[in-house]
Amino acid sequence: MTVTPQFQGTHLFDRLCWAKENLDGVQSDYRVVYEDKIDECAKILVPDPNWMACALRGGILPPVQVYWELAKDEAEEGFTKHTRGYLLHNTEPVEAMTEEQAIEYLIMKDCPQHVWREWDSGNKPKMVICRKEQLPATREWRNAWKITEELATDETVAA
Amino acid sequence: MALGKIKADTLEHSTAGSLDTQYVVNGSAKAWANMDGDASTPVFRDSLNCSSLTDTSTGTINPQFVSTMANSDFVSVGCAHASGVAWCASVYVGGKTTNQMHFQTRDADSASAVDADPADIASFGDLA
Repeated sequence: MTVTPQFQGTHLFDRLCWAKENLDGVQSDYRVVYEDKIDECAKILVPDPNWMACALRGGILPPVQVYWELAKDEAEEGFTKHTRGYLLHNTEPVEAMTEEQAIEYLIMKDCPQHVWREWDSGNKPKMVICRKEQLPATREWRNAWKITEELATDETVAA
Repeated sequence: MALGKIKADTLEHSTAGSLDTQYVVNGSAKAWANMDGDASTPVFRDSLNCSSLTDTSTGTINPQFVSTMANSDFVSVGCAHASGVAWCASVYVGGKTTNQMHFQTRDADSASAVDADPADIASFGDLA
């Protein structure tokens, strides 16, 4: 197995290029269904195979908190350009994750914070992790998909 | 870092002149994705610098960056196809942020949003 270089201090983009060259992509069956606006259909988060390979390998991706810091900077009034990009490159990379841990990381990185922080605060869950087989088999009525109100394990989670 | 490294400010051809390597660095795509947007949920076929895609609605997909852009002035280009129908692809720029690309496919005749396969996008700009 190819040894992962010591990447702390290496530009994150360079690490991704190394990973694309050296790691096989991992196509995950997990999907994250979430609703961030009441009047919009459910959104579905699909992991990238190359990213998943990096997460499973470890030593490549920065801690998810780094992305939160950058998001805070971007939310500041008058933001024009990131000045703390070094956080992505200089922070010690996270260790190898399981696929389930990787999905949790991905939720905290790519889903709106108000969704995953309060996912179960309403009348029904705002977010569900499921397998792709639990989603509708075709895209018919895609713009009407919602998280089902009668949620149970091993059932279709959006309809 | 344990990777091999060549440092050069200029590339020079024996007869055709020289090129500043900054042209190569600045002109290369910093992220790209080839997606099947017509599957039950869209999936990546191949990509660079993406962590996930969000299937937002019919014809609309937002791939997220791993290595974020320095600012939101980056440029994205897209194209899409489905056999037998006239389609066009556009990059939706509403709410543009440094952490994701916006991709939307619309029917060239009716302008209604449609799913496509392949759905391809690439972004150019400065990385954070």
